[in-house]
Amino acid sequence: MPEDLAGIVTEAVADSAAEWDLAGEIPVDLLRGLGGKGLLCPEVETGFGGLGLTGRECGRLTAHVGSLCSSLRSVMTSQGMGAWTIRRLGDRAQREQYLRRLTDGELVAVAFSEPDAGSDLSAMSTGIGEDGDSLVVDGVKTWITASAYADLVVVFGRYGDGGAAVIVPATAPGVRIDPVPAPLGCRAAGHATVTLDAVRVPRENLLGAAGNSLAMLTTIALTYGRLSVAWGCVGILRACLDAATEHARSREQAGVPIARHQLVARHLADLYVAERTATLVCEDASRCWDAGSPDQVSRAVLAKYVASRAAAQGAARAVQVLASAAAREGGVVARAYRDAKLMEIIEGSTEICQLVLADRAMGVGR
Amino acid sequence: MPESASERLSAAGIEHRLHEFLVERTKTEWEPGQDLFASGVVSSLFAMELVVFVEKAFDVVVEREDLAMDNFRTISAMTDLVLRLRKAADA
Repeated sequence: MPEDLAGIVTEAVADSAAEWDLAGEIPVDLLRGLGGKGLLCPEVETGFGGLGLTGRECGRLTAHVGSLCSSLRSVMTSQGMGAWTIRRLGDRAQREQYLRRLTDGELVAVAFSEPDAGSDLSAMSTGIGEDGDSLVVDGVKTWITASAYADLVVVFGRYGDGGAAVIVPATAPGVRIDPVPAPLGCRAAGHATVTLDAVRVPRENLLGAAGNSLAMLTTIALTYGRLSVAWGCVGILRACLDAATEHARSREQAGVPIARHQLVARHLADLYVAERTATLVCEDASRCWDAGSPDQVSRAVLAKYVASRAAAQGAARAVQVLASAAAREGGVVARAYRDAKLMEIIEGSTEICQLVLADRAMGVGR
Repeated sequence: MPESASERLSAAGIEHRLHEFLVERTKTEWEPGQDLFASGVVSSLFAMELVVFVEKAFDVVVEREDLAMDNFRTISAMTDLVLRLRKAADA
């Protein structure tokens, strides 16, 4: 990861992460500023105005952002996943138009989940219909990360016998975006319910084509999302490790720094192991992604599974080490504790990941 | 063109590589016309692995209307897809 990119994000976040967490909002101009530098979807090729980072470089930058603020990292995951979806499912003209907009300050959210379609995305009921030169989109999408900030929403839905995605401007008539009040974690990530009531968009906003498989399209998009979330969890662990070691060095009890107490030392060791393990599994998955290996699909699930569990457990350990010093809303470890738990839920819950990994182990499924 | 690349262009060569990958990955034997998804044991996640494999192994890009399950349903269907995409690329 080029150092100056990390530095730009560090400078932009400064000491604001706690304030954003408490307010439940990141200033949208700051997001547009980072987006306009290409930092929110860093893998977009330079030919489309992007930074052209490799998957591994993007991952390391994502971890850095995640170490500072998981809400901002969540926005980055959405932007990257939206750009990747357009890159992968779009045609030349769509790539040219939209990837430029996404590296020029516009923000995008990607909408999969619905009230009755979470782990089972095949139960999705949002419909993409046709009417002359228009597409008509109807449905309700829940917990859509970054949609409260988004200019564009990439909406997945049923299209003919299969599935497709469609690019919907957030300002199109019939679109309503209702922020989720006080989410458990990633409080400033702009989670919202997106309601689409007979929303008409031009036919050229369609991503994918007749006959596409909804399951295949969502897997393509989610593989990027899983890698990004996994790297974000590496960041959470780094922030927790830094906070815990710093505290264990400076806080004295019974006449010695608490790091000298063996039960505290065990927490520190486990945190270190968690950070290293998550890093290595993410590096491996991104290597598969960069190499175009078919293993990228299951390794992304593996990385997300390992890193999100490690982050949830690691954040809980960090709280334990910091004790009362962590029990303040907005603080780095308090945020990590809440944010990490959500990472075990989104982009494929821990249990769904386990089923996928069991299938992978069996070769042909169970 | 190197020998390995020209081999890829023949239907038999494509079928052979697909078969090899499938057997290695699924630990199961597959006939050229056998439906990979009908059994229910091959997941949609695996369908994306097949897309990535086909792209990498045969130097083609699978996009737009070609991202359909039917193109990946059997070894024969994938072979046809690769031949068609190779022909389009060479044209």
